[in-house]
Amino acid sequence: MRKAKLLKVFLTIIIITLATFPIIMSNVSWPTFTRDYLFVNALNETGASNTVSSIYLGYRLMDTLGETLVLFVAITGTMSILLNLHKHELESVKTQSTLVPEKRVKNALRTNLVEVVASKLGPIILLFGLYVMLFGHISPGGGFQGGVIFASAIVFLVLATDVKTKITNSHVLERIEAISFISLILITTYVIFFPEGFFSTIDIGSSFLSAGIIILLNIIIGIKVGTSIAVMIIAMMGGKHDN
Amino acid sequence: MIIERVLIFLIFITGFIGLIGVKNIIKKIIGLSLLNSSIVLLFILEASRIGDHAPILVGQEKNIVDPVPQALMLTAIVIGVCVTSLSLAMAVRLYKTTGSLDITIIKERIENES
Repeated sequence: MRKAKLLKVFLTIIIITLATFPIIMSNVSWPTFTRDYLFVNALNETGASNTVSSIYLGYRLMDTLGETLVLFVAITGTMSILLNLHKHELESVKTQSTLVPEKRVKNALRTNLVEVVASKLGPIILLFGLYVMLFGHISPGGGFQGGVIFASAIVFLVLATDVKTKITNSHVLERIEAISFISLILITTYVIFFPEGFFSTIDIGSSFLSAGIIILLNIIIGIKVGTSIAVMIIAMMGGKHDN
Repeated sequence: MIIERVLIFLIFITGFIGLIGVKNIIKKIIGLSLLNSSIVLLFILEASRIGDHAPILVGQEKNIVDPVPQALMLTAIVIGVCVTSLSLAMAVRLYKTTGSLDITIIKERIENES
């Protein structure tokens, strides 16, 4: 029985090797015309010198909206699965790493070192996440990357005990997420004033507005992604119960 | 250029073995993440073949890398996070209801229940 299982796995791996090895090892030269077009036109058409930003917030904004929708649906599913579980056994678990010191078993998954380092590093990482969001149009970064850094800062603040902040509260984070998602949809109606189609890039030269829209979208997407992932991680850690 | 491709292929195969050959659900999810990472690495490697500089138009470097696969992989990474989080939540649910992470034991217990 075990040998048959091993044989099946081995055969599957042989087949998948035959199927994917030529694709991965293919040496076809990569086409350069999109690169050349973006090198010439991206800065003028969208106003962002980071070309990746100008693609995913300019040329491909519809897809980014779909991506945030997928993230939203995944967060909803994860939360609905996890919250039903935690409702019954919050009191019985004493080893959760997010409980306040009086309620949990001493040194359960957490030491003084972790608490001190997390409480000192959390605000700095929060600031760095905001920096990555705000400068996403001219330097490496953007909404999604900054949002993930933002989420990790919030997790640091959750692990720190003596930090008095509302940002680690799941309800506050969920409200921020909802508000940013609604404003993301509302902000994209700016194309009403430019008759070129929904979510199309506006060609108005090197004006302020175009890059301004990208900055705004970066901030909103960053806050949305950051709060969603933070809510999810806090739910997986068992929730924060000291406020 | 050949050694990077072989390493990416090894990551892909490792993820695939983790997905189909291991019985622990958590290890299966790690395999799924590895598959996602190998595809992301492959696209970034392909895009970097036509240039040397980051796709940021501040200097006058002519040969930037292709930014389109990088923007696409941004989507792929976010979807990968979604898939990982949902499957981890389902794994927690399965563990809480059946008391095991091994798929054969889970199957036995579910069949005994019904």
